[in-house]
Amino acid sequence: MKKLFILIYICLSSLTTFAQLDRSKRPTPGPAPAIRLGKYESFQLANGLKIFVVTNKKLPRVAVNLILDYIPPLEKEVTGLGDITGQMLRTGTQTRTKDQIDEQIDFLGATLYTSSSGAYGSSLKKHQDKLMEIMADLLLHPSFKQEELDKIKTEKKNELSLSKDEPESILQQVKSVVLYGKDHPYGEITTEKSIDAITLDKINTYYTTYFKPNIGYMAFVGDITLAEAKALTEKYFSTWKQGTVPTPTYIQPKVPAKTKVIVVNKPEAVQTVLSIAYPIDFKPGPPDAIKASITNDILGYGGFSGRLFQNLREKHGYTYGAYSSLQNDRLVGSFSAGGNIKTNVIDSAITEIVSEMRRIRDVVVTDAELKQTKNIRNGIFVQSLEDPQTIARFALNTARYKLPADYYSNYLKNIEAVKIPDIQSMAKKYILPENAYILVVGNASEFEAKLQQFGEIIHYDAEGNKIEASTTSSTIPADITADKIIGNYINAIGGKEKLIKIRDVSTSMSARVQGMEMTGIRQQKTPNKLKMSMKIASMGMEVLKIVSNGNKATFSAMGNTQELTGKELESTKAMNTLFPELYYDQIGVTRTLKGTEKINGSDTYVIELTLPGGSKTTEYFEINSGLKIRQILVGETNGQTVSQTTNFGDYREVSGVKFPYLLSTSFGPQVVDLKVTSIELNKGLGDEIFE
Amino acid sequence: MQKTLLLFVSFCLSILVHGQQTRINFTEYELPNGLKVILHQDNSTPIVAVTVMYHVGSKNEDAKRTGFAHFFEHLLFEGSQNIGRGEYAKIVEGAGGELNANTTFDRTFYYEVLPSNQLDLGLYLESERMLHARIDQEGVNTQRNVIKEEMKQTRDNRPYGRLLSETMSRAFKVHPYKTDVIGTAEHLDAASLEEFIAFYKQFYVPNNAILSIAGDIDIEKTKQSIAKYFSEIPKGTQPIFRPEANEPPQVAEIRDNFYDNVTLPAVIQAYRIPAQGTEDYYALNLLTSLLSGGESSRFTKEIKDKQQKALYVGSFPLALEHPGIFIAFGIANMGIKPEDLETTMNTEITKVQNEPISDLEFQKLKNQIESEFVNRNGSVTGIAENLANYEMYFGDANLINSEIDRYNKVTKEDIQRVAKKYLTKENRVALYYLPNASKPVPQVAPEPKTESPVPSQAQTPEKPAKETKKKKKKGN
Repeated sequence: MKKLFILIYICLSSLTTFAQLDRSKRPTPGPAPAIRLGKYESFQLANGLKIFVVTNKKLPRVAVNLILDYIPPLEKEVTGLGDITGQMLRTGTQTRTKDQIDEQIDFLGATLYTSSSGAYGSSLKKHQDKLMEIMADLLLHPSFKQEELDKIKTEKKNELSLSKDEPESILQQVKSVVLYGKDHPYGEITTEKSIDAITLDKINTYYTTYFKPNIGYMAFVGDITLAEAKALTEKYFSTWKQGTVPTPTYIQPKVPAKTKVIVVNKPEAVQTVLSIAYPIDFKPGPPDAIKASITNDILGYGGFSGRLFQNLREKHGYTYGAYSSLQNDRLVGSFSAGGNIKTNVIDSAITEIVSEMRRIRDVVVTDAELKQTKNIRNGIFVQSLEDPQTIARFALNTARYKLPADYYSNYLKNIEAVKIPDIQSMAKKYILPENAYILVVGNASEFEAKLQQFGEIIHYDAEGNKIEASTTSSTIPADITADKIIGNYINAIGGKEKLIKIRDVSTSMSARVQGMEMTGIRQQKTPNKLKMSMKIASMGMEVLKIVSNGNKATFSAMGNTQELTGKELESTKAMNTLFPELYYDQIGVTRTLKGTEKINGSDTYVIELTLPGGSKTTEYFEINSGLKIRQILVGETNGQTVSQTTNFGDYREVSGVKFPYLLSTSFGPQVVDLKVTSIELNKGLGDEIFE
Repeated sequence: MQKTLLLFVSFCLSILVHGQQTRINFTEYELPNGLKVILHQDNSTPIVAVTVMYHVGSKNEDAKRTGFAHFFEHLLFEGSQNIGRGEYAKIVEGAGGELNANTTFDRTFYYEVLPSNQLDLGLYLESERMLHARIDQEGVNTQRNVIKEEMKQTRDNRPYGRLLSETMSRAFKVHPYKTDVIGTAEHLDAASLEEFIAFYKQFYVPNNAILSIAGDIDIEKTKQSIAKYFSEIPKGTQPIFRPEANEPPQVAEIRDNFYDNVTLPAVIQAYRIPAQGTEDYYALNLLTSLLSGGESSRFTKEIKDKQQKALYVGSFPLALEHPGIFIAFGIANMGIKPEDLETTMNTEITKVQNEPISDLEFQKLKNQIESEFVNRNGSVTGIAENLANYEMYFGDANLINSEIDRYNKVTKEDIQRVAKKYLTKENRVALYYLPNASKPVPQVAPEPKTESPVPSQAQTPEKPAKETKKKKKKGN
């Protein structure tokens, strides 16, 4: 007996020792590590230059960053002046040519550049003195030369030309103009013309107005002590003369009263860049910055967890990534949400983003989601501490934005203090789905008709100028009407005489959907009877069935049957008519010629049909051939507007009548090519088929 | 502009060396299942990088199933037997961490950066990924769509987005480097779930991986945790496919035009060179510094600054496990013909071949390398990746400390010698990347040649890196 117990004991103990790891349980974290914020020290030179030092000797290197803290002026006809002035500073001093500057910096293995808001340099510690000597020479003793200005102008113009190819650059340009307007410095954009207008005089004036030590913050980071920084700045920057710098004020840019759609047509784009954006009064620091940032993180965090990423990428596969950002700024902040979106689902993507923006305003966030997001922000903060530049940034922000001295040391505590109701109140204040600009850059002919549902459409060119409609143009010959185009179409497919002789049509089709072979049969009979069935070939399973006897219609998908009613039934009855184009007046379809558009390189006429019940369909007729090559149906499902685009191609004649043998239809992100395998006419289909 | 250049700058930076003053100490060992482990302790910030590098890249793929390695870079975020679909990233981010992955021609790299008290979580997650990742039809379908959009975003809808892929497809005829890391949509569409599962079983096994951890850790405790989570993962049972370095030498210049939606023409020269780690490869790295390291470098000073022929001009050798290419590249200014730009590039190359380099200029190159090496190991994630790279490619993680010696062995004469040996006409592809508008109108209307979809970027991150960076800055 005793033996048995021992045996059991041994078995048990060996079990516990070698028990397989229970992988269903995630490891619990150890005690939270202590967070130590690095220290910084600061002092000021007699001329007002404020200096901050973060000593970190981990690597034998030193970085120095100078920020001139001034409110940017309106540059108007010389937009780009500040940028070019900043760049010019690195091209010559009273004692150094550009060649010498380049040689000397490279010889140190150093980095040194200048900009409209200051300068940045880094080098190994052993070269810090030389680095500071060159930096001071660039900033204090510049010599602006025409030759160098000409070179920079050429470079800038080439960069402009290049950015016109880049959809994301175009979006940024147009966004600045639309959000801030031309009376705000953030809304000005550089053009060839404004570059041409920049002169050495203007550069000199800009330099002498804004490059003053009393608005300067200089941060040293790395293997350098306070005493060393003092000695270096005294030596090289104490002769810099202070002066008064202008402090212009601007009218606060406003959000639009109603959401508008801004379209930039880029016909060759294979993807559409989307941003839903607006300017917003959102200041750095308390009381809102932390709470509002967490609110935005819940909506559109730049990692995987944000709702936009989860919805648009992980759930729908519309995009490689979707995010939102809420930027604070002393003058005017901004919100923006979007991504690079698959073109044929751009309308669905907008709908999803807008509904996420509404949801965060209207629906209380769960405790778990708030906790998750707080942890994310916590993590970002802790990770950022690895880089000693972070401490310098904290110091500069505290000074420039007049933040409380303990703002960053209390940062984690203040994240923890954010409560559930804060999220909704921040969302109501800063997330404004009904007052936004929906900016899209892409092949407008592919989506323009589908965007009208979101608001008034305004067209811009890539340089940020408002223009007349870029795709649907109005240059149509006076004698062309919608009915004439429809008449041409009827003639193109065979003519009225032949069409009215057709009593029924049986079409067999096949398609591949997600690697599976599907087959379909569509039967149509005059006046408006229809039966359609799609099956998975290998299983013989019917996945879709539509039956209509002309008075009622049922729709079955994967075993669920639904009888159509109301608006849907009315429009279905009308459009099930065999060759409805022959009978538009009788069945109550109104036709409007909307203009012309280019589709896949072909010019088309665009006709909008309003069906009985009020829903709309847009059809595109190729001008050369007269054939219908695209149809966009817009409908409503569960309160959401959805649209479906079908392209028609490969028209072939059957008994003298042309039918499209290829129908490419988009279902959400999927494009399904339906290939017609056979069409038979006048088989004498019985009415019972359609019951 | 910036983004296009960044791609090239990041290549240039990847050559940077590291240095003697700041020695990186590490512990290295192997588990019985073949998993190599490298640990580096640095307690200055309470974070830890947990990384796994798998020795599988696009070159290990079946030529009819390109894009698999990168596809896995997406799939392996879908979860595991114990981690629900879509939970993987949420768990990491909810623990205050960040995560991502990237794929190259030669390897795939997965990482999490976590608060150091979450080390075990990182180990658990990576072990789940290695032991029994979730590979199902739903995940495959979603990621197919996502990747098609990634292809457009990073390659098709971006000016010069096909530059590298078009170059590689001409420089390689046989070797898998000829195909894009991101692969082809058709191959991904055609692939069955079983094929994905088979790929996982072959390559994502402990004996094909390096677990590299750097940060605020205790070495002994970390070893125990690693044993706990990784020792039960069985060794792979199949032979791992490693392609031959089988590209025959090039004997005549390949010259071609490629038309795309750009406004400024670009000139690309791709010269065939030996693999990374060879003596000549180091000399070629110094040659790159000479040609395009900084504003005073030869290409930049002469072609961009003095002659104003290019908006950007540079060079870089691709760091590849098998013999690769050295790329010289320029975007012509408006009104400058690509022929004209290419002539000036050739003139500078000829100058290196024929005229001795001055001591002063050579010293500048050395100073640049010294400085670059110090900056190389600035983050624990970078250290973990560098250690794993060295171990994977050269079987010597300590190159993180000693590789500088290999650079220092290079002489002025070596730079001239490799310029003469490799930068020859016969040994190159010369590709003009031209605006669609300049395309000649064909006489007979031919079927447009279907360009075999080819490499876009040597490295394709799981998510756009830009976004991640942008967010990181928001700690203010």
